[in-house]
Amino acid sequence: MNKKDIYNDMCEQSRFESFFNKHSEHLHNFLYYKFGDRLDPQDKTQEAFVRLWENCKNIKPEKAKSYLFSIANNLMLNEVAHQKVVLKYTKIDKKNYSNESPEFLMEEDEYREKLQKAIASLTEPQRVAFLMNRTEGKRFKEIAETLGISTKAVEKRIYGAVKRLKKQIDGF
Amino acid sequence: MRTLMEKEDLIKKWLDNDLNPQELKAFEALEDYESLLKIARFSKEYTAPQFNKKKVLDTVLISPKSKKHTITSLKKQLLKVAALIAICFSTYYYTTTLDSNFSTTLAQRTSIALPDNSTADLNAGTNLSFNTSKWTENRAVVLDGEAFFKVAKGSTFSVLTADGTVTVLGTQFNVKQRNNYFEVTCFEGLVEVSYHKTKTILKPGESFISIYKRTVKNTEIISSTPDWLNQFSAFKSIPLREVLDELERQYNVLVDASNIDTAKEFTGRFPHNNIDTALQSILEPLHLKYKIKERNIILERE
Repeated sequence: MNKKDIYNDMCEQSRFESFFNKHSEHLHNFLYYKFGDRLDPQDKTQEAFVRLWENCKNIKPEKAKSYLFSIANNLMLNEVAHQKVVLKYTKIDKKNYSNESPEFLMEEDEYREKLQKAIASLTEPQRVAFLMNRTEGKRFKEIAETLGISTKAVEKRIYGAVKRLKKQIDGF
Repeated sequence: MRTLMEKEDLIKKWLDNDLNPQELKAFEALEDYESLLKIARFSKEYTAPQFNKKKVLDTVLISPKSKKHTITSLKKQLLKVAALIAICFSTYYYTTTLDSNFSTTLAQRTSIALPDNSTADLNAGTNLSFNTSKWTENRAVVLDGEAFFKVAKGSTFSVLTADGTVTVLGTQFNVKQRNNYFEVTCFEGLVEVSYHKTKTILKPGESFISIYKRTVKNTEIISSTPDWLNQFSAFKSIPLREVLDELERQYNVLVDASNIDTAKEFTGRFPHNNIDTALQSILEPLHLKYKIKERNIILERE
């Protein structure tokens, strides 16, 4: 019985911790890309892991990741209607490049605004994959693993996102 | 100029950080290069807020896994045991409260031992059911057809039929309940017949007959067992259609009596072991002829 437990569930602490280290940040960022920061992705990530920990006995290691992601996703969805999230999402803070000319800064701000709108207009899967790729520099294969989809699908989503962004910003 | 396909391929490879030096040059030569680079640069600002891994992990790990865990597993064990008991009990209950059912088809007979020392002999085309688990409190059987009962002494024994109920204390009697025909014959002891609100007590040798709701109490000295157990059927002033019905049941045949008058009364008997003798016994006194075609018997006037 004991031996079986070690290999068949998530209750052993070292196993749980390594699982946590591997996936927690991915999950957190995924939630952020998908839902924005208003719903506190860190809090939801934590809660999803608490659920996993509480139910460790019933969860097989190979199922743990999809369990975790769907729990977190549901926690988010339970909280708020989708549309609001996307709108909130666009209010992302900007960095300061203080040693540039005012005109240049203004231009950049204009560009940021355009990009913001464009990103908000992406479909949710496009945005998640695109931001994973661009902000974390993740390769298609890693993204595919995190999202549980094929590399080809990731490629399609990201390329679709870029094409759409370019069209929205440049107007063609 | 590069083709659209090549262009798309280069952009995808760039996104996947998978360009070789040659391809990188080709990519940099694309007219969209500047605009793509700008998107890439500004998209970086969308980095997710800092995630405090350690704090989250610590919070998760102090959440009550083990405590909750043992409670649930203990609960689960108990539930499992409870479920098992419930299943066993309900299966036991179900099977024991289920009525035992016995039937005979046409031209077939069987003898059944009831839960006490009582027995029931079923004539052809009969269905008998009773409940074993409640037998000690309630000796009752449901009968559709004809059966001879030898009832051991004990509490009241009842035979429930669609037409009437027969109640006894310990005796031997025969009950025959067929379409529009209800007959009870007492061979030993006392038998009470409840039939359409009237109660009739039968002494040994007496029988109660109801044909098409017309009741007759017969007091003729008879043998110690029903005739059918002695391999024949006897009738006294019984409409021919009842006699033919009995013939059909005993020999598993179909009698076509459409050309004759079946309301005529018949007195006599026929054996159960020879169909020709049986037919002659019934038909000759009534001046009727018969033809046998496989399972069908056609009756005609002479």
